[in-house]
Amino acid sequence: MKRTWAKIIIFLSVMGPGIITANVDNDAGGITTYSVAGAHFGYSLIWSFVPIIIALVIIQEMSSRMAVVTGKGLADLIREEFGVRVTFYAMAVLIFSNIFNTISEFAGIAASAELFGISKYTMVPICALFVWWLIVKGTYKSVEKVFLLACLFYVAYIISGFLSKPDWSQVLHSSVQPEFRFDKAYILMLIGVVGTTIAPWMQFYQQSSVVEKEIKLENYNYAKLDVIIGAFVVNIIAIFIVLVCANTLFKNGIRVETARDAALALRPLAGDYCFYLFAFGLLNASVFSACILPLSTAYSVCEGMGWEVGVNRRFRQAPQFYTLYTAIIVLGAAVILLPNVKLVPIMLISQATNGMLLPFVLIFMLLLVNNKRLMGKYTNSKAYNIISIFVIVAMISLSTVLLFTTFVH
Amino acid sequence: MADQDKQAIKNNVLKTMFVYFSSLLDREVFDRNKELAGEVYDIIVKPTQVYPQSAQLIIRKGFPNRKYALVDWKDITNLESDTKEVRLGIDKAKLVFEERHDNKEELTLRRDILDQQVVDTHNHKVIRINDIHLLFVDHALMVAHVDISTRGLLRRLGFEGIADFAVRIFNPNAKYLKAEHLISWKYIQPLSVNPASMTIKVDVPEKQFSSIPAADLGDIFLDLNIMQQVLLFKSLDIKIKAKVFTHIDFKTQKLLVEELAPSDIVEIINNIPSDEATDFLEKLPKKDAEKILALMESNYSRKLSQLLGYSNDSAGGLMVTEYLSFVKGTTVESALKQIKERTFKVEPAQFVYVVDEGNKLIGCTNFRRMILASPQDLLESVIFPKLYSVHLDSSVKEVAYLMEKYKYYTIPVVDEGGILQGIVTVDDVLSQVIAIAWRRFKNMKVAHKNNL
Repeated sequence: MKRTWAKIIIFLSVMGPGIITANVDNDAGGITTYSVAGAHFGYSLIWSFVPIIIALVIIQEMSSRMAVVTGKGLADLIREEFGVRVTFYAMAVLIFSNIFNTISEFAGIAASAELFGISKYTMVPICALFVWWLIVKGTYKSVEKVFLLACLFYVAYIISGFLSKPDWSQVLHSSVQPEFRFDKAYILMLIGVVGTTIAPWMQFYQQSSVVEKEIKLENYNYAKLDVIIGAFVVNIIAIFIVLVCANTLFKNGIRVETARDAALALRPLAGDYCFYLFAFGLLNASVFSACILPLSTAYSVCEGMGWEVGVNRRFRQAPQFYTLYTAIIVLGAAVILLPNVKLVPIMLISQATNGMLLPFVLIFMLLLVNNKRLMGKYTNSKAYNIISIFVIVAMISLSTVLLFTTFVH
Repeated sequence: MADQDKQAIKNNVLKTMFVYFSSLLDREVFDRNKELAGEVYDIIVKPTQVYPQSAQLIIRKGFPNRKYALVDWKDITNLESDTKEVRLGIDKAKLVFEERHDNKEELTLRRDILDQQVVDTHNHKVIRINDIHLLFVDHALMVAHVDISTRGLLRRLGFEGIADFAVRIFNPNAKYLKAEHLISWKYIQPLSVNPASMTIKVDVPEKQFSSIPAADLGDIFLDLNIMQQVLLFKSLDIKIKAKVFTHIDFKTQKLLVEELAPSDIVEIINNIPSDEATDFLEKLPKKDAEKILALMESNYSRKLSQLLGYSNDSAGGLMVTEYLSFVKGTTVESALKQIKERTFKVEPAQFVYVVDEGNKLIGCTNFRRMILASPQDLLESVIFPKLYSVHLDSSVKEVAYLMEKYKYYTIPVVDEGGILQGIVTVDDVLSQVIAIAWRRFKNMKVAHKNNL
């Protein structure tokens, strides 16, 4: 009994990076994709979350393991092993892609503000200021607590899922029995759902935050558990988002294009509570991601370039870190405040740059995790390598297809 | 000769004397017969005195199946800062190419220094190296400086020319163009880990660590990752170890202790001030603290475990166990007589405590009251109308507050059952309170400085 408690306490001290990283996956863009998937295809895409969980666990586990074994961030390792040139261009693309990702998070904030009847001109600046203040004034520990709290708020989607009264036996049936359709729209949606799962910044963020937590090798199994729980939680929430839209919008044949449309269409069908919970979920997810994306960018870039890093430092001690962080937030919020801003091209650019960077990041990871000098006996086993290569090839080809289809459209 | 020309010549001389490591990388290597042998990949350096000297060149050939070969430095006939190739004095058939290159024990520039994190013991920071400045000395190369500047970064990226040009247009006297941001190697402590022996290579022992103020040393340590912390710590000498240990947070202290041999831990505890030692031991789980104490020299460990019993800012930690007390029923006359006959190590001020048979505190009186009373009076009839005491775990602030309020020079300390345990005297409280006030004052000063 005592040992169980000791284990639980160790886990609580290790927990965080995996769960937080996975949850940011359900950001404004993710919620939109899942809403559309549910509204257009009902339960028929739910099965795809099973392989997504596996892919997420495999890839995030490698990040986590590298962090624990080497004590270094991914950008650090890329710089040390592949040199400054590769790092520089990778970081340049990362900055570019994360600026657009951040803009789409602020778009999510603006959309959810409108759902609550608040003008985006008040909500977006307030959120931007909050996000900025949180990191500049906080310490790593306090920031992580706020992030874990934000993860808890995702429960809003689970409640709204129950409020929409799903047909559980059918949900179970469609999650274990893959239903595949050879129609173009279905395949594109499938690619969209899988493609939003793994983004380049996630690997950087997760590895840095495990390093910052100073998790020890002997507690590595707990960090693994953190990753696994994160992958399950994030996908269960995604399933509930699909459920809400499937039970209401799909049944009534309503087609939506954004999470905001989905929420508005929900109101007459599922009631005010469901609507508010859905809108709150979107707001929480957007603010949370708007916080993590600039943070993760600043971390990775400064790590790679050898500049002072850290939430625990003051502005004067880490000028590049805070300048980058502030600039991305300001830019992200400012673009959304422009009158008549078009969101579709922003989403496209963010998806495209993610898709371009992802293959490189995943291949770097695979090379690094198999480097004996860095990882010692903690390199991938042969079987693990085969699975991870399969996952990586699948992710790369899916995101490439996604890249092409979005531009062909 | 004009000053400008002199400057130009000086620059030229400097240019041919020094070479950046990044400009040597990937240079083509030709053998005696002018046949291509490979390209420059890395340099193995030997620690001689302060500045390590080049010993061997690692050359690389083939793609994608890369192979690596070692060349002794004496076999290099031509390596200059301005020629774009390296020439060897031997046949390329003599070179032995192997698959692995990174299993060398020695310090190598590309693997261990370039792009890696190191400790800069001059500016007390952990830095990342953008380039290495090498000096030609008798045909060999010496590691003279490291470059951590943005300009070094741009040079590596191939943008130095463009950036220099752009800066020159806007401000020809810009600091960027002059300040080279080179740091002498004598201040650089590499952090690369030798995978075979799991040690950090320390080429010059101590590397000026002893000249770094303890607080900065602690900060440097907190910038390192776990592995670097443990290995660098192990490589330091005991004086610096003690200095570092007292200036890092408890989490890091605990981590280090878990990784160290028992004899090292004891050595550290013996070398740090006793209040720091108790501070640390107090926070450890009881079992671990006892284990460490058991390993220590008995005198000191006894002292520490005594101090450990009470937290050092509580009444229990401050009290002395010598005091004047009499069982109730004693007359004033006999009490005064006993006082005259006793000797004291510590002057117990003028307070006298009255207790029952079980040493339970009943009251308190002072010499003045006793002298004014008639000799046959019982002690309990001359006590103060009200009794103030503190508990073993009362904080130093509480004690100070009561003493100030009732103008006591000493205050009795009792346990949960009201049994008298000792007394706290005003001087001990004062030293604690002054320490608190001083710390606050210092923090205020630091905060003030940071705000400037």
